[in-house]
Amino acid sequence: MDILAGSVVAGLLIGLVFALVALGLTIIFGMMDIVNFAHGEFLMIGMYTALIVAQTTGIDPLAAIPVAGLVGFALGVSCYYGFIKYLLRGPMVAQLLGTFGLMLLLRNLALLFFGSEDKTIHTGLLVNRGFDIGMGIIIPATKLAAAVLAVFSFAGTWLLMNRTRLGKAMTATALNRQGARYMGIPTERMNAVAWGIGGATVTVAGALLVNFWSVTPFVGLLFTMIAFAIVAMGGFGSVPGAFFAGLLVGLITEFPGFWDFIAYITGSSWMAGISMTPFKYTGVYLAYFLIMIVRPRGLFGWKS
Amino acid sequence: MRKTHSMLTVFLLFCAILFVTSPSYGADTIKIGVLYPLTGGAAAEGRELRAGAELATEIANNKMPIDMDMAKRGGITSLGGAKIELIFKDHEGNPTLGADLAKKLILDDKVVGILGCYQSAVTKAVSAVCEQYGIPMINDSSTSPALTQRELQWFWRTTPHDVTFTRDLFELLKGLSEGKVKGVPAVPKQQISKLASACEKTEWGSQVSETIDTLAKQYGFEVKKALLYAAKSPDLSSEVMSLKAAGPDAMLFASYGSDSILMVKTLKAQRVSAKIMWGQDAGFEAPEFLQTLGDDVVGILTRTVFAPKIAEVKNVAGQVNALYKQKVGNDLTGASTRAFTGIQTWVEVLQKAGSTKPEDIQRAANTIMIPGDQLIVPWAGIKFSLSKEDKGQNELGSGIIGQYQKDKEGKIMLEIIYPFDVATANMIYPFKSF
Repeated sequence: MDILAGSVVAGLLIGLVFALVALGLTIIFGMMDIVNFAHGEFLMIGMYTALIVAQTTGIDPLAAIPVAGLVGFALGVSCYYGFIKYLLRGPMVAQLLGTFGLMLLLRNLALLFFGSEDKTIHTGLLVNRGFDIGMGIIIPATKLAAAVLAVFSFAGTWLLMNRTRLGKAMTATALNRQGARYMGIPTERMNAVAWGIGGATVTVAGALLVNFWSVTPFVGLLFTMIAFAIVAMGGFGSVPGAFFAGLLVGLITEFPGFWDFIAYITGSSWMAGISMTPFKYTGVYLAYFLIMIVRPRGLFGWKS
Repeated sequence: MRKTHSMLTVFLLFCAILFVTSPSYGADTIKIGVLYPLTGGAAAEGRELRAGAELATEIANNKMPIDMDMAKRGGITSLGGAKIELIFKDHEGNPTLGADLAKKLILDDKVVGILGCYQSAVTKAVSAVCEQYGIPMINDSSTSPALTQRELQWFWRTTPHDVTFTRDLFELLKGLSEGKVKGVPAVPKQQISKLASACEKTEWGSQVSETIDTLAKQYGFEVKKALLYAAKSPDLSSEVMSLKAAGPDAMLFASYGSDSILMVKTLKAQRVSAKIMWGQDAGFEAPEFLQTLGDDVVGILTRTVFAPKIAEVKNVAGQVNALYKQKVGNDLTGASTRAFTGIQTWVEVLQKAGSTKPEDIQRAANTIMIPGDQLIVPWAGIKFSLSKEDKGQNELGSGIIGQYQKDKEGKIMLEIIYPFDVATANMIYPFKSF
């Protein structure tokens, strides 16, 4: 039983962080129908920012989160004004190739500055700590903190989007850019803010992840794929969709645990002998594929 | 007069140009291409390997007060005192890149031979290139048994392979049940019969996994779970949960640098452990493993070919270890000793060949015999097999199993547990949980 409960808890915790990673992607897509292939690289920059801030100043990696958020916001806004704004004038394929190019640029810059070695945080307030919640389930403090902060970030973003004038202006821009402009909304600035928020949420997710996940310049690809799967499942542009789909994807990545549980309760030795861990992300991509066929607009999608 | 002056000036200029551009008639250098993972997940081991190879070259090129023939010659005397020059290339653990770099070394740098490549998957790709071009390759540090089962004509391996090393593990387990282990009374076999392995999934790890499975059957142990994982995986929590579900008596790992650290950290975070925790060298004996994990490694076993304790009983190993420590800052490891031995083998092969022609080197390698007293590793010597089953494999190599233990001053170091007759300390059994 502890295997099942342990896998569910682990899946939900990592799912919340995955959801936060996907949040920025869905906001940007919701605002301007542009798919940011460099999203995972933004995450990588968030991870490196937290790592470098923590290592150079000696502060706890958790305290580096606001810095990572600011860096992400600045990165998002500058990418918009310096690059994306011009891409939006071109055809869809230019936008795709443009953000793909941005991905390559950021990844190779990281390679140039940080090298290809894995870097990990080995010290910190929460590193190597855990809570025993009974039934043999131990929750690592780093993952719990990441999940809790991910929930707060989600709540903050949801409130911003739904309860503030800025959020309403952004939603108006997303729904009808021309109409919003006639109403006096500076749509250009709204787009930049969307990129800023998108960048900030994903770099915050990176700063949370770096407490328990090693960083290399190539770490972004895995997360870009996962974020795409989450956004496709939750519905392009939907904030609650990203939240629930993130949880679902987190649970899917823990399916080797469920497999072991079934093997245990059925006493099946052939099932116990087979290791499912190499396929833990296969389920995610399979679900992505199925959603794209069965319900292309996703579970909570409002853009067809 | 002016004309004479002009002619003299031109003559002097000509002489000067000749002097500058004329080749040096001193001893030649012999270029050896060395391919190691200097960046990427196994960069820590790559640094050790490079330092070991460099030290061996320094000793081979200069006369030094070390009890080893290579250190007394000051170059390859059969080649007019020629010096060894190493050309390092970083393959990042990528077989395709390794093969490309090997081609560059052969075609552009005109190397006499190749040494490398650590990861078995890269060694496999690079040895295929060497075979194609007829360039000799000595492999110092890759342990997949399949590498010497291909009947290659230009490939020789100095290190023992994983069948030897894994057999050592099962001999240790068997010895544990028979009361042969120093400081541990006989443990009933049923208390240590359930095994679980977690191996990285490239050439090396998957071969280790298969070898564990085969030998477990031979020795009467049961593998409850054998999982493979990606060495570059940034999160191993589901793997650890899977190991926990198997509830084994012994956990066996084949991990490279960063993943071995991540594995132990995740095991600790989930408080998962077994009575015996054993690592198949590589990441488990890299200096970073101990430096990063500190006290958590106490009680973990690793197979290796070297432990600093050997330096206390083997004079030549002690001399080289002292030099290495002075240069690098830490004791020799399994990786650095094997790289050192790889270069030493190259030097002895060239000395025997007395030529840099591939055919002469091939003949020398096939017939060489380096006695054990020349080596810093505790082997009986180096002699390459000519049999089809294990072509090019050193027949005289052997492994040891060490355990991280804390001494009275609180310093953690590898104590030798196996072979039983050279054990330097009592084994810690069972492993204290995290």
